[in-house]
Amino acid sequence: MAIPPLRYAAWRRLWTDEWSFPVDERLPHPAGTAPDSGDSRGKCCIVFGVTSLLLAAVLAIGEIATGQARATETGPTTIPEMWGAWCARCHAEDGTGQVSEPTITGVPMDFTDCAVTTREPDADWERAIAKGGSGVGLSPEMPGFEDSLTPAQIAGFVPHLRAFCRDTGWPSGNLNFPRPIITEKAFPEDEFLLLPAISHESEPASASATNVGLIAAYERRFGRRAMYEVSIPFYNWDFLTSRDSEIGDIAVALKYVAYASATTPRIVSFGLEATLPTGRLYKGFGKGTVVFEPYIAAGTMLRSWYVQGHGKVELPVDPLVDRAYLYNLYVGRDSSSAPDAWTLGVELNGENKQLWITPQIRKGLTATGALAASLGVSIPVKYQREKVVSWVGYLLWEFLEPLRARK
Amino acid sequence: MLGAQVLGAQAPGAPTGRVTGTITTSAVGLAPMRVTIDPKVCGQQLPDHAIVVDGQGHLANAVVVLTGVKRQAAAEATITNDRCAFVPRVQIVRPNAAVKTTSKDPVLHTTSAQTANGRTLFNVALPIAGLTVTKAVGGTGTVRVSCNTHPWMRAWLVVTDEAAAISGADGRFAIDGVPPGSYDLRIWHESLTSAPQKVTVTAGKATEVSVRMK
Repeated sequence: MAIPPLRYAAWRRLWTDEWSFPVDERLPHPAGTAPDSGDSRGKCCIVFGVTSLLLAAVLAIGEIATGQARATETGPTTIPEMWGAWCARCHAEDGTGQVSEPTITGVPMDFTDCAVTTREPDADWERAIAKGGSGVGLSPEMPGFEDSLTPAQIAGFVPHLRAFCRDTGWPSGNLNFPRPIITEKAFPEDEFLLLPAISHESEPASASATNVGLIAAYERRFGRRAMYEVSIPFYNWDFLTSRDSEIGDIAVALKYVAYASATTPRIVSFGLEATLPTGRLYKGFGKGTVVFEPYIAAGTMLRSWYVQGHGKVELPVDPLVDRAYLYNLYVGRDSSSAPDAWTLGVELNGENKQLWITPQIRKGLTATGALAASLGVSIPVKYQREKVVSWVGYLLWEFLEPLRARK
Repeated sequence: MLGAQVLGAQAPGAPTGRVTGTITTSAVGLAPMRVTIDPKVCGQQLPDHAIVVDGQGHLANAVVVLTGVKRQAAAEATITNDRCAFVPRVQIVRPNAAVKTTSKDPVLHTTSAQTANGRTLFNVALPIAGLTVTKAVGGTGTVRVSCNTHPWMRAWLVVTDEAAAISGADGRFAIDGVPPGSYDLRIWHESLTSAPQKVTVTAGKATEVSVRMK
């Protein structure tokens, strides 16, 4: 999605540059508010739904603490056998969740649906199998296997589970890294986001002013690798003599995963965002022209660190409006593999010759991670005009994930 | 169900009384259940222990609780999956007791414990025989134990910090070491109901109670 992360940079520029100018003066580099894309941290939500049950299946693997001997003597010994003996009771032999004699009230998710099976990282699946549905905010009818299987055994079920998706074109959920605040995420998502930003300036020569921005963004996947996004910015700015609240430039965007390798792991996406001149130019709420913004977003893991990068060019249709070059780099890591873990990170956010550093913290708010929030502070490192610090963040809802366990 | 389970210890030094009684019902026992899941392990049919009553109407597995008489029930309980039934059917434990669940069956069982309001305390998988898993129950209340792969399986944990007893196969129960006084006697059964009864306990004597559930 093209959420406004970077838009923060744009917004910041509007604020610092334009705000200092007469309000009716044309902005030198208006920045609309447009989206960036992003996606929430992958682990969050196990798409599992009732899925959980599948876990059950999963269990079986092998040796199990106390009962290992009996299992090897009389029980299933391979993952497919265990799936058939245990997991298939609820998830079906073919992973569809359609069984002739259901023993649970919920209907497990269809693992042959690649949208279900691919989008979350291994750690989410493993956690669901280990803790059971109630341990990860999903169906409590899925039991936990952490007392009967070793972590290695549990991990062994994930490939079996993912194999129910026959289409290899879907990017792996292991590439679904936590969303930075400003850097565009390469992995496509189904999310609704609110991205607030608050800047306060207190210049000796003028009165202090606090400006507030809020971007609402909707991201939706389609096909195996694509996503579209719509974002609407709202601004509430202090013009000394009054405060104005208006809508800025609405943006639409498309993103496509061009390269994805779960083993590396690396992901590269290309996107194109178009910002429409819906915000009033003379007030600084818009650029007054359509702006096309092609971008590239990439992510990888270096040991336990997430590394995500994003670069884009703003190409205004109006030749009087300057082009802008934006680039962002994020590095962060989780406190644990749980979907509700804390994630600490820092971004470098550049726009033309200006540079900000944005330390941030992120937290999954539900057991599935379907709700998550992030808070950071964007500090100018290299700037042209006023040195304005902005508080930035987001609240996201991964709307295909259950917020809590289904009954 | 060989006899009433008696809980409670004598208050040191103080004279106490005893509450005994018989629980009966006009309800009849339930027909055996036909089993189609794992019949090689579970059998073709299983008795339905939701109501266990003898020919004279004596009701087993009812729990009587003497309100206001604090007691420490068992700190630990074991639930065994045995031929696709939980054994025992009903137990009394103290708050936060450790519940051990194990299986004798070579099929996947789960032990799922839920409070009366539907909150899941735990749900553990027992994919192989011989495995034992220990979990804790929470505060006072009734906990329903079920199996997600054999939906007819039921067990109950009555979690209480008050004096309580379970009726045996003859419908009898007894609670010893009760300080003299008047109390409400609450009766719980998984399928039947009964209003609380007033009992007055006298030191050195047994107070006999008759409870009829419907």
